[in-house]
Amino acid sequence: MKLACVVQRFGAEVTGGSERHCRVIAEHLASHHDVTVLTSCAQDYVTWRNVYPPGAVRAGPVNVLRFPVAHQRNLGRLADISRIVFTTRSSPEEQERWFVENGPEVPGLIEHLQQHGAEYDRILFWTYRYYQTYFGLPLVADRAILVPTAEEDPLIWVDVVDRLFSLPIGYLFLTPEEAQLVSSRASRPLAPSSVIGCGVDPAPPHVKDVDLSMAGVTDPFILYLGRIEPNKGCQTLLEYFDKYLDSGGPPVQLVMAGFPNMTIPSHPSIKCLGVVDDEMRETLLAKARLLVVPSPFESLSMVLLEAWNQGLPALVNGRCAVLHGQVVRANGGLSYRYASEFAASLTYLLAHPDVARRLGRQGLAYVEQEYRWPHVTQKVEEFLSASLKV
Amino acid sequence: MTVLADDIIRVEPLMREIEDRVRDDLRRRLLARGGAPEYQDPEVFRSVDRLLHRAADRPDEHALLPEFLGPESDWRIETHVRFASHRPVTGPLVLFVKRRILLPLTRWLYDYTVDNFQRQERVNRMLIACIEELAIENARLRRDLEQVRSVRL
Repeated sequence: MKLACVVQRFGAEVTGGSERHCRVIAEHLASHHDVTVLTSCAQDYVTWRNVYPPGAVRAGPVNVLRFPVAHQRNLGRLADISRIVFTTRSSPEEQERWFVENGPEVPGLIEHLQQHGAEYDRILFWTYRYYQTYFGLPLVADRAILVPTAEEDPLIWVDVVDRLFSLPIGYLFLTPEEAQLVSSRASRPLAPSSVIGCGVDPAPPHVKDVDLSMAGVTDPFILYLGRIEPNKGCQTLLEYFDKYLDSGGPPVQLVMAGFPNMTIPSHPSIKCLGVVDDEMRETLLAKARLLVVPSPFESLSMVLLEAWNQGLPALVNGRCAVLHGQVVRANGGLSYRYASEFAASLTYLLAHPDVARRLGRQGLAYVEQEYRWPHVTQKVEEFLSASLKV
Repeated sequence: MTVLADDIIRVEPLMREIEDRVRDDLRRRLLARGGAPEYQDPEVFRSVDRLLHRAADRPDEHALLPEFLGPESDWRIETHVRFASHRPVTGPLVLFVKRRILLPLTRWLYDYTVDNFQRQERVNRMLIACIEELAIENARLRRDLEQVRSVRL
């Protein structure tokens, strides 16, 4: 098959859940198909500044076609239109303007889809929230497959999204909860879909141990991995952890590893390491008592799969249906909703290390069963073949 | 349902156990601080707790009460600024001054206010959901009562 994968940014340096998902799926599909990635020249999602040169380039097994972004994102204008769209009954024009302001505005990519869209057998669009999907998918709807990576954030309730969800001929979802969310949002029955998740390679055998005490990490510790910002639930995590310390639970250190995008209070029981390299990451995952995932919005938590891949149990935000669902299906950890539940669950896991270890092993068994690449690629292949027959 | 089944630790019953313990501690703390004496009865407390849970989980968009509050412009907190002028000639200049000079100068105050308005709006939505849950509960009880009465008659 000749396939196109449309995504807002693409590159090994690009971090971000949906971009990474697109990259690894495209690379695996490329072993059996002719895959071209259509994307912007941007590298960061805050400004959409053009960094990569426009045009065609080969990136490993896939062809990449990059198009320049017409203008950088104006955060003030985006904040203003977001307030209108997300806090009032806004008009379709205002909602459409939100997609323009959110960007990345790539007129060349839209033109390419108009002129060459029919040359692809199937075109897969990653995330419904960006310009390239909102304006590009309707042009090639007869061959479009949407990978929405939808979360329970306010955008899902915006009126024009309903129209977008009625267009593709198929959907690839990351979790059953995401499928349920999109289907409950759409006013018409959805096109055929498959829940594919994402592949995870077996954890490499532990090679080198980093001395964590040099970095100020003390045993026992619990781990947060990822961007440190309020949107990821980190502010709430810090407040809940503070209450846990007050509650008199077993002493433990909270270690946060990731790019800090907020102020972290100076506290002997909280250690922020900033961005860490792979060796440090592996060591942290190997030595932590558990991984904490406080994010309120997720379509699939990759870091949770990564922790289970290492046999580490998890404590997740139960207000996020996806995280709660992942933990229950895997029997790989506990979820909490309030500060008191966070404290009680953390106390339980620290006081019952044997149970915690078993939950971690159950998480690993779940990853083995559901998230190894052969299983995931088989699901995608079967879905694409079936979509051609319809 | 047991926590350990077929040699697998099932987390759902384990989480329920923890949650029940947390709720019971909360009930005792509330009573110790002079909370409603009705909470002496754990069943009453559980019932109230469930109702508030349902209200907290209800998506904002699904509430009935706002339909009766009249036009949104009369009651919804506006957290954004829409600039407009009725003056055909000087209007654009006035708008330019407001947008490009006054708004950037007062942005810090605007952002501070917006954050607080949004917090208030969250509380308002929760209260609306609570009222609606109570109304639903009341309607259900009224219906059950009518049924009991009709059976007796």
